[in-house]
Amino acid sequence: MYVSKTGLAVIAAAYVAVPLLLGSNNYVMSLIVAAMIIGGIALAWALLGNLGGMVSFGHSAFFGVGAYVSALLTMKAGMPIFAAMLLGGVGAVVASLVMLPVLRLKGPYFALAILAYAHIFKIIATEWSSVTGGSAGLASVPRFPELMGFDLSGKTGSYLIILTVLLAFVAAYRAIRASHYGIALRAMHDSEDATRVVGVNSTLLKALMLFVSAFMTGVVGAFNVHYINFLEPDYAFSGLWVTLPIVAAIFGGYRTILGPLVGAVTVYLVDQLIFKSLIPSGHQLVLGALLVAMIIFSPGGLMPLLRKDSRRKHAAA
Amino acid sequence: MSELILQALYSGVLQGGSYALIALGLALVFGTMKVINLAHGELVLLAAYMAYMVESKLGLSPLFAIPLALVLVCTCAVLVYFLVSLIRKDRELNSLILTYGIGIILTNAVLLIWSADVRSTSSAWFQDAVVVGPFYSMRSELLFFVVASVLMAGLWWWLSRSWYGRAVRAVSSNRDAAKLMGINPRTTEIVSFVVAGILASFAGVAIFSYGVIQPAFGHALTVKAFIITVLAGIGSIPGVMVGGLLLGIAEALTVTLASSALQELVGMALFLLVLFLMPNGLFGAKARRG
Repeated sequence: MYVSKTGLAVIAAAYVAVPLLLGSNNYVMSLIVAAMIIGGIALAWALLGNLGGMVSFGHSAFFGVGAYVSALLTMKAGMPIFAAMLLGGVGAVVASLVMLPVLRLKGPYFALAILAYAHIFKIIATEWSSVTGGSAGLASVPRFPELMGFDLSGKTGSYLIILTVLLAFVAAYRAIRASHYGIALRAMHDSEDATRVVGVNSTLLKALMLFVSAFMTGVVGAFNVHYINFLEPDYAFSGLWVTLPIVAAIFGGYRTILGPLVGAVTVYLVDQLIFKSLIPSGHQLVLGALLVAMIIFSPGGLMPLLRKDSRRKHAAA
Repeated sequence: MSELILQALYSGVLQGGSYALIALGLALVFGTMKVINLAHGELVLLAAYMAYMVESKLGLSPLFAIPLALVLVCTCAVLVYFLVSLIRKDRELNSLILTYGIGIILTNAVLLIWSADVRSTSSAWFQDAVVVGPFYSMRSELLFFVVASVLMAGLWWWLSRSWYGRAVRAVSSNRDAAKLMGINPRTTEIVSFVVAGILASFAGVAIFSYGVIQPAFGHALTVKAFIITVLAGIGSIPGVMVGGLLLGIAEALTVTLASSALQELVGMALFLLVLFLMPNGLFGAKARRG
């Protein structure tokens, strides 16, 4: 797969420079890891929106299911953490199966059905207390292990794990977009009816994108639970896991691959460092306003705008 | 046991009146503009908090909040309309994200102004028991069921007899044809938002007068309203009324027979069941399949 020189430099910097320069500062590292968790969900959300043409308000369901599956597998079945994280993603895919009938409906039905659907899991996690620990939650979820003498459970170790996960997602996203599925999906975006006429099973393709998106979100949820070692329904299925990624993806540009990640880091850091200190309890108000402003003034997000600007500069030079 | 079930049916019907009002607003706006207003539940919540404010700050009955709520909620509804109409491309999906954002703004504004505490009415007059035959209810439940029935009858008359009501129906069924008949679709869209705001105002005051409110509640109301419109089948106004009653009854029965924690779940279950078995809803005529 083609990776540009700047891309390689950024990856190298992310693996080496960030831990070396900031690794000693626990607060900064925890902010970065949290921003990357949001970035992971935002990427998965944008993949569904860009390739599948679907807006989801229920990704908290996949996030929470991934977290619960992975936590329970490691705690009750003694499964190794990294295998459990993958199965957490699989669990989210299984959870997304119930959404399949809705894919055949046109228009806003998917968005709304999945919004309603996210509530179901919170109730199940709260009520099924023999397995999930109910509203008291699960305490002391296993931490990340030591690997070759390096403790992965610390901030820097967790940072390296989520960084690797995100890079794998980006690679997968690029591979899907470049494959013939990606071409069919792009055609579907222009005209779904025309694409069906030439023999593309659009419902199947949409379902596949839903699975990929659910899997990614589930893995991120699983990462998060081993990172914070604690889980309860209100947290796992919190609306925050929907709101922040949507704002991040729209802000960065959901039709690009890197936009959601850049958006997540920007939006999360600005929200935490500036708005949270200004308005402690209702700081999400600003996120809502940002979302409204983006949709009205620049629905494509900031990344395409920046690129357009730089293209103009190049053309002028 | 059967008495309990009958009582649950009765409470469910009373509760369903407000649900129907909320869902009708959502359905009307979807009809004219093909936009699902995800901030609709928050508009209802705004009216409920107006009622709370009038009661706690001015010491008046929440009923006096209705004019205030009408002004505020209808203004907000029109604002939502203008923001949505500013969307330039891909309106179907972008309007969802936009109204979702407006919902976040309203929820957090409520949180900032009135804090996250759960609020309910302290009026004894509202909470007094009223006995109708063998059934019990709070006075406010019965009162607002009557109000909701009158409003729905009024809406029915308005949609079938008045010029604007018929314009709303015309634009809903065929926008271009309506235009050719000299109807301005933009005016009609604003009218539908205002009517949705009026219904939401009454529903909000009703919900405060017999239940509890908190900032996160608006979102749940939007979900309920959407569930009802799916139960009904989009485009069916009487269907929405029946759907509201159905959801109210289903919730009340679950609370009586199982547990109040499962109250939310039954709506979702009903919703998924209808989507699986009859995707056009119970009363929908138009096909929704893609």
